[in-house]
Amino acid sequence: MPRLRALVGSFRQQAFHFLSAPSWLIPNIIAPFVITMVVLLMYQEVTGSVILYAVLGGGMMGMWGNTLYASGYSIQSERWWGTIEAVLVVPSSLIWIIAGRTIWNALIGVVNGLLVLVISVVAFGVPMDIADPLMFMASFLLTMFSLATLGLLFSSAFVLTRQAGVLTNGLEFPIYVASGCLFPIALLPAWAFPFSLSLAPSWGIDAIREAAGFAPESSVWVTVLGSAPQASFILPDLAMVVLLSMVYLALAIVLFRVVERQARLTGELGRV
Amino acid sequence: MFAPLMVEVEDPVIEARDLVRIYRSSSGIIRKRYKETLAVDHISFSVGRGELFGILGPNGAGKTTTIKMLTTLLIPTSGKATILGYDVQHDAMEVRKRIGLVLGGERGLYYRVSGRQNLRYFADLYGVPLHDRERRIQEVLDMVGLSEKADVKVENYSRGMKQKLHIAKGIVHDPEVIFLDEPTIGLDPQASRDIRRMTQELIGMGKTILLTTHYMLEADELCGRIAVINGGKLLALDTPTGLKSLVKDTSVIEVEGFGITDLEMDRVRGLDGVRAVSSTTNGSKQVMRVQVCDAGEMLTPVTRSLECRVLDVHVKEPTLEDAYLWLVEGHA
Ligand SMILES: Nc1ncnc2c1ncn2[C@@H]1O[C@H](COP(=O)(O)OP(=O)(O)O)[C@@H](O)[C@H]1O
Ligand SMILES: [Mg+2]
Repeated sequence: MPRLRALVGSFRQQAFHFLSAPSWLIPNIIAPFVITMVVLLMYQEVTGSVILYAVLGGGMMGMWGNTLYASGYSIQSERWWGTIEAVLVVPSSLIWIIAGRTIWNALIGVVNGLLVLVISVVAFGVPMDIADPLMFMASFLLTMFSLATLGLLFSSAFVLTRQAGVLTNGLEFPIYVASGCLFPIALLPAWAFPFSLSLAPSWGIDAIREAAGFAPESSVWVTVLGSAPQASFILPDLAMVVLLSMVYLALAIVLFRVVERQARLTGELGRV
Repeated sequence: MFAPLMVEVEDPVIEARDLVRIYRSSSGIIRKRYKETLAVDHISFSVGRGELFGILGPNGAGKTTTIKMLTTLLIPTSGKATILGYDVQHDAMEVRKRIGLVLGGERGLYYRVSGRQNLRYFADLYGVPLHDRERRIQEVLDMVGLSEKADVKVENYSRGMKQKLHIAKGIVHDPEVIFLDEPTIGLDPQASRDIRRMTQELIGMGKTILLTTHYMLEADELCGRIAVINGGKLLALDTPTGLKSLVKDTSVIEVEGFGITDLEMDRVRGLDGVRAVSSTTNGSKQVMRVQVCDAGEMLTPVTRSLECRVLDVHVKEPTLEDAYLWLVEGHA
């Protein structure tokens, strides 16, 4: 129970913190709008369902951005604010506190993603026929969960690496490509598959797209099976999302132990 | 002269045994150079229930490092400390449930939300029972006098209000033991007075408090016992009165003048019979305090070593400040 209190408390704190600055409008309302426009310009030639495919990829990019930046820097920002010691001295483990934040960030990411969809339908008239709305929403929710666990993993990894900034900037575009935001993973060279397939959102977006009614030729499973799957692969997709999230969570638990131990050994976290 | 060390108390709430902390820091990226700083050097003391215990020392003495070890934020390099019987290194969670930490300063608060929201957040992290949370937050807000500004964003707070919020945050879970690290540093006199009054109120409520400061008068006014530290070493540990008695055989020659140089100060310091020298600036004037064994005998040699314009010379009784000065100048 005390852990849940810490998690819920920091989720709410993050929400207020987020909403209190008007600057949240820019990455969260304006950026999805821009992403939608860029995607629609890029795919000007094509029509019909391919546009929806691309728009979904654009939404996914919004979700990634929040994970890499807001969640990835959630421990670092405590250092910049000078609040890290106040947070380390409470009787709740750091991972529960940071989890509250990464869940909020992932939620905002998903809202961004959905916003891209809404904008493209309402403002740009992209046809939106979701084949399986229930699975579509379930896929979004599980993807959100995987982004929260990835955020935890990133936040602990970034605080342990000195060049976190270089890392995020360098990772951003490869991740968009590798997770299939821009085009199907099967079009990537084979050596990129292991990286692609170890990203939960690759599977998440696959499930989202399939639930939206895309033909399985573009599925992630092509890279594993060698050919397009015959039946619906939404459930196996979601199973992969859950499995990988569990792996991220396990890694994050280990890294948070290292972070907390390092903090007490070196005293470095207290310094900016 | 021997500086008394009253280290032991009965029923200790805070106990430090031979605490040592060495920082290892590296600089340079390609050719790394490692530097070791001995920040705390075998410090031992214990604090009894309901006591207001002070750690007094100049900047860099090791006060914050000592507090961080006692509050589980830093692992001692060697030595051991317990709070209410729990080991700070091995039972960190048990210690954290029972202590409040107030590290002062401009930072350490969430600026973009209100004072009340800051407190609510920390109440959650400390697991203050939900049914009690809002009442408790109001209670601490009243106690530190922030009720009227509770719903204003912290970025609009004055320095003094931020410090009061720091204190409220440190006590929102009603801890038994409270650590205050230089709680009045950089505050105006009114805010400092408020903070000192709150500290005394907390003692009145039966809390045990460890406070660090580099203001002699603050330590004298508040603390039952004072540990004087410098260079990471414990120089003396006694009541304010006990510390004053360290300099009971001394007198102070106070010289007011213009343009007293460091060279002159060193020359006075080098005189036989001079125990410690300090100077403060008072407007354009300087005031030099010279601790001597026998004022009558030393008056002439002291004034003769000065080339500056001397305005006035007094002989005064020593204060706690002189005891402190004498200790940190390395005569313990
Ligand atoms: N994280 C750190 N890394 C390296 N040296 C440090 C660190 N923190 C403090 N120090 C050094 O340790 C000594 C004691 O510092 P501190 O405990 O902050 O003193 P005080 O609080 O009495 O001013 C100083 O010399 C300071 O420079
Ligand atoms: Mg300090």
